[in-house]
Amino acid sequence: MKKAITVLLAACLLLTALASCQKAEEESYDLTIVGKSVDMDNIYMTRIFDLFEEKTGKKIKLITFEDSAFEDSSAKLFEKGEVPDIFVHFHNADLDRFNVEENFLYLNDQEWVEDLTDGALAYSVDRDGNLLGLPFWESSVSGCYYNKKILDKYGLRPASNQSEFNLLCEILEESGCTPICWPANGCAWMLQFALDPVFADDPDLLEKLNAGQIRYADIPEVTDAVRWIYEAAQKGWFGDAYLETGWDGISPALSSGDAVMTFIWDTWFDTDFKDGKYSAGDFALMPAFLNTARDGTYEGGNLNLMMVNKNSPNCQTALEFLSFCADPENYNIAFAGISTVSVFKGQTTNIQSKMVTDAADSIARYGRVSTASTRIVGYNGDAVANAIYALLSGRVDVAGCVEQLDRDRLANAG
Amino acid sequence: MTDSRKENADVKKKSKWFLPSLLMAAVCAMALLIGVWYFRYISDQIYEDSTGHLQEIYGQVNRTFGSFMERNWGLLESWGDALPNGTGGDDSYIPNLVAEEKERWNFSKFLFLSADERYMTPDGEERKVDLGDAWVSLTRDGEPIMAGEFTSSGQAVTVFAVPTKPGEYRGFPYTAIAVSYTNEDILKSLKVNAYEDTAESFVVYGDGSVLLSSRAGGTVFTNYFTYLDAASDLDDRAMEELREDWAAGTAGLARCEINGEDNCILYQPLTYRGYMLLSVVPLDAVGKGFMQVQKITVLFLGAVFLLVSCAMGMLLLIRGYKQASRNKTELAYRERMFDVLSNSVEDIFLMLDTVTYRVNYVSPNIERLLGIPVEEARSDIRVMAKCMVDDDTVIPADKIQAIPLNGSLHQWFEYLHQITGELRWYRTTVYRMELEGMEKYIVVLSDRTQERQMNRTLQEALDTAKSANEAKSNFLSNVSHDIRTPMNAIMGFSTLLERDAGDPVKVREYTHKITASGQHLLSLINEVLDMSKIESGKTSLNAEVFSLPEMLEELSIIILPQARAKKQIFNMRVHGSPPERIIGDKLRLSQILINLLSNAVKYTPEEGKVDFSISALSGSAPQYAKLRFTVKDNGIGMSEEFQKQIFTPFSREISSVTNKIQGTGLGMAITKNLLDLMGGIIELESAPGKGSTFTVELSFALPEEESGDDWYRQRTWRILVADDEPDVSETIREMMTGTGVYVETACDGTSAVKAAARAHEEGSAFDIVLLDWKMPDMDGVETAKRIRGSVGRDIPILVLTSYDWNEIEDDARSIGISAFMPKPFFVSTFWNTIKPMFETDRTPEEDGESLGTMDGLRFLAAEDNELNAELLTEMLGIEGALCELALNGQEAVEKFSASEPGYFDMILMDVQMPVMNGYEATRKIRSLPRPDAAAIPIVAMTANTFAEDVRRALESGMNGHLGKPIDMNEVRKTVARLTGRRE
Repeated sequence: MKKAITVLLAACLLLTALASCQKAEEESYDLTIVGKSVDMDNIYMTRIFDLFEEKTGKKIKLITFEDSAFEDSSAKLFEKGEVPDIFVHFHNADLDRFNVEENFLYLNDQEWVEDLTDGALAYSVDRDGNLLGLPFWESSVSGCYYNKKILDKYGLRPASNQSEFNLLCEILEESGCTPICWPANGCAWMLQFALDPVFADDPDLLEKLNAGQIRYADIPEVTDAVRWIYEAAQKGWFGDAYLETGWDGISPALSSGDAVMTFIWDTWFDTDFKDGKYSAGDFALMPAFLNTARDGTYEGGNLNLMMVNKNSPNCQTALEFLSFCADPENYNIAFAGISTVSVFKGQTTNIQSKMVTDAADSIARYGRVSTASTRIVGYNGDAVANAIYALLSGRVDVAGCVEQLDRDRLANAG
Repeated sequence: MTDSRKENADVKKKSKWFLPSLLMAAVCAMALLIGVWYFRYISDQIYEDSTGHLQEIYGQVNRTFGSFMERNWGLLESWGDALPNGTGGDDSYIPNLVAEEKERWNFSKFLFLSADERYMTPDGEERKVDLGDAWVSLTRDGEPIMAGEFTSSGQAVTVFAVPTKPGEYRGFPYTAIAVSYTNEDILKSLKVNAYEDTAESFVVYGDGSVLLSSRAGGTVFTNYFTYLDAASDLDDRAMEELREDWAAGTAGLARCEINGEDNCILYQPLTYRGYMLLSVVPLDAVGKGFMQVQKITVLFLGAVFLLVSCAMGMLLLIRGYKQASRNKTELAYRERMFDVLSNSVEDIFLMLDTVTYRVNYVSPNIERLLGIPVEEARSDIRVMAKCMVDDDTVIPADKIQAIPLNGSLHQWFEYLHQITGELRWYRTTVYRMELEGMEKYIVVLSDRTQERQMNRTLQEALDTAKSANEAKSNFLSNVSHDIRTPMNAIMGFSTLLERDAGDPVKVREYTHKITASGQHLLSLINEVLDMSKIESGKTSLNAEVFSLPEMLEELSIIILPQARAKKQIFNMRVHGSPPERIIGDKLRLSQILINLLSNAVKYTPEEGKVDFSISALSGSAPQYAKLRFTVKDNGIGMSEEFQKQIFTPFSREISSVTNKIQGTGLGMAITKNLLDLMGGIIELESAPGKGSTFTVELSFALPEEESGDDWYRQRTWRILVADDEPDVSETIREMMTGTGVYVETACDGTSAVKAAARAHEEGSAFDIVLLDWKMPDMDGVETAKRIRGSVGRDIPILVLTSYDWNEIEDDARSIGISAFMPKPFFVSTFWNTIKPMFETDRTPEEDGESLGTMDGLRFLAAEDNELNAELLTEMLGIEGALCELALNGQEAVEKFSASEPGYFDMILMDVQMPVMNGYEATRKIRSLPRPDAAAIPIVAMTANTFAEDVRRALESGMNGHLGKPIDMNEVRKTVARLTGRRE
């Protein structure tokens, strides 16, 4: 029944979208862009759309889909041959559905490539190093965000390696604090942070995994990460309510001081954190220690890529639009006042969080591009969350969890 | 129960346990105090010993670490002196040297330090270094330093550095050299294995900042003061003291909880720049060995205490259990005994709650005594109410509730037994009592039916006694009058006798009246004494075989003259066939019948009629005979009121008629008592003016049949019976049935004459003719004359009469009457009468016809009273007898012994005599070895006239009894009986 309703709603949305397209066509647009409605509504996006239209006089036809229907609805467009001039997509495993090689233009030769930060560039290329699109998006740094005040209260400093992190958790737990807020209920990104160093540091491993030559179980670090998560929970480092805690529970746990640390990204403090006993300013950043990197790891931002339909008659216009966006004057207008890690080297008007700037050296040293979600074929965040939940709720052991991760991955990869 | 009472009960209960509980609590408290004191003392001792031990250990650690520092500094200083300024063209010299020394000293890196806080390794790696304040000491003060630092990879290291003379290595100008150790390596020197890896060591600066931590994982502490402040229970003052100690580099010891765990913090100054060696050891680990001993000791003592307590507790429990068991058993016994007791008594016990009236206990005998099942009574006490005869007697609830504690309430109830319907009186007592702190009603129902009946009986007896007393008073008054009356006559006529002694006519008249008065007086005295004897319970019966006809004849002899004196008709009849010989107390039976007959004669006016009938009743056992004696008169009768008390002693109906009749009021009482004694009954029917009928029924045992003298069976007898009353004739016929006698009857004299003549003519003459003396047409004499005239003088003619035939006997014999027979007719009397007529060898002496009764007889009279002896001698003399006197029994025995056999004809023996009484004397005489000792008649002549006296006389061997005063008629009769002489 649920399925039927979902299909019906999707059909309605599709009809609505088609109706909109038809109306836009009637208005004669110069450029068609398809993206998630929630993404396209971001202020820096609207700013750049408006700025482009204003400066060039060209009209942009914006086709958007709801978040939940985006992938399927977009795929249908592609199946019908209605590939937009510009397709805005997060560079994740789902991108494979859209036949990138056939539909989109590699952008390695574009002038603005030099202006991209290393992290942004690394995120935006495919497994072969082809630049898939312009990363015109806000970026963030994921790591371990900790409550400075609580650590100061106990005369503790942030950990510089996994051992110290473990010790820190141990001392905090002894002192009656919940060291880590681990929202096990439906949150998927934690393991992703653990896998980044594994695959970023050893691309061959990723190749073999994607080629089906090895499995997660063959990679000791994967098991190490899963075991650490399990043992941390057993030691009480996640507190008592981690199985019930989900996305909405992170902010209360941190702002109240019930939890001292969590693995999150800096912009989360702008978008989701609500001040309580502690405010966002009371937090600082150290690497995420998930037992796969001795010195920890940071994950770069996950960026939306503007990809150009190489088969479109408006291909040049699309490239023109990308160059417009990559112009420092324009992107500084668009990102003015926006909290984000710089994506362009010339970005000057964006706001970088103090947490990130304070940890800049460490980030520079231990930061890694988001690899797991973008490069592992069949990687699915929800499936990972389910496997970890099964582990923490005692339904599977460590080996079982790794097995489940593999199984889900392979199933998702088809 | 009021609150105060309840409280008092509670207080009593509590006070019972208060002292033992207090004692127990005191012992426990004392034991606890001693235990706590001991524990604290031991703990303190252990703590002191342990911390001493701890200080010793960490003193050693401190020294080791100090040596480690000194060694490093010494090494560096020696290198500094030896290092060439520049490489001297040999780039491998320094790396090789360092490599060798590294192998030897195990440091991580060798560093050249420049004045601008940078370092260069022998490999040429150059980086900035941050040694904090220590850098100043190194560069400015030229002191060797130890400082923490992080490597490029973020790893914590400890750097030991010494200043050197400025030099240059690979173009890098240096002013100091250093070696670094990873913290993991350096901490090995701080490691203490004594406390099972639970101890942590820190090298901290005086401000608390942490340089090194022995804790696995590295150093995440920045400042241990801060940590203690947050994680320990040290208060501000203690923290301040700690801070001061550390700042001053003073060694010390602190004890605190860190994260809820007791820890011992030992701090000792290191020998370098105010650094302190800090040791944090869990208190458990500090004195674990000692603690173990302490624990074992405490556990042992605790176990001993527990064991002793358990033993005491067990003892108390066992004792309590035994006591409880004993109490339970006792209670069970008591309950059982109480049940048994209550079952055997006539009291019902109940226990009720004072508030709810619920029955807590009911004795099991309630079912027996009231017919209420126990369970029914237990379930609802109101069931008792239905047993109450009178609902008005139920005690109101408010009256019960008003009973004070320990008070009681009494009430009489008459209950109806629910099964038998019997009415019984119970005295109900309700007690209010306190039992085990609860107030209860104890209800006791005491069966007082017997007591009540006894009271009633006693009341009746009292009334009777009062009545009797009154009667006695009346009697005394009467008897006084009655005694005085004859006494007055006796005295008066005696005076007149003295005066008119010369006038024989008057003398006889006066003597006769004196005698009559004396006899009345005597009978009065006899009856009074008799009654007294009966009432005192001393009367007993003397059962003997006696002849009923004889007794009736004697009665007739007594009563007939009295009746004749009043011109009354006295009839004595026998109905049925009463046995002629029966066993009983003839004397007492005679006394009863004489009383009844005398009263009948006495209270029947002149020319009245008195009927006396004897009936044999059927239905009794073969060896018994039940006889009914009926005395019926047509006298004055009795009121119904008097009939109720006729048998009460001293009762006499007061009337104008009875007042003129002498009487004691004792006769009927004596009669009733004697009948009760004999197991008989007496009934009375009477009405004033219509006469009275007394009916007496008595049972008599029958003697075994004696081999009778059945001489008359040798032939067949023909008898003619003539009586105007057909019943009499028919009775005789019935009585003769079975004896082989033919009886023909005639209802008058004429018929009898004809019948006799006819039989004679027919050759079947009658053998005997039995005639009634009084017949209407022709009396017995005339009839006898005519029969004699027709049949001759051979046929014996007997006259059957109720009258005394003495006066007519001579005339009757002259006209041919052979003999007289008293009425009523008895077979044995008949045969005994005619037997002599058919015997031929009898002597005149045997017939008793030749001599007077006492004429010529010689008496030996034993009499101690001279007057009586003289009187007796005179009176016997008058009768023609001789009398010799003995003054006592002994003398009588001697005189008899001394006499020739047959000298004395009879002995008259007084009983109460000096020297030897009459009974003894009789036994002596009877035992004398002479032929007449056993045969000589001995007759008691005594004032002891009771039946017992008579019996005792006979038992001693006497033959008869004569009471004093002497009645010569009685003497004659007795003599006649014993000698065979006619009176």
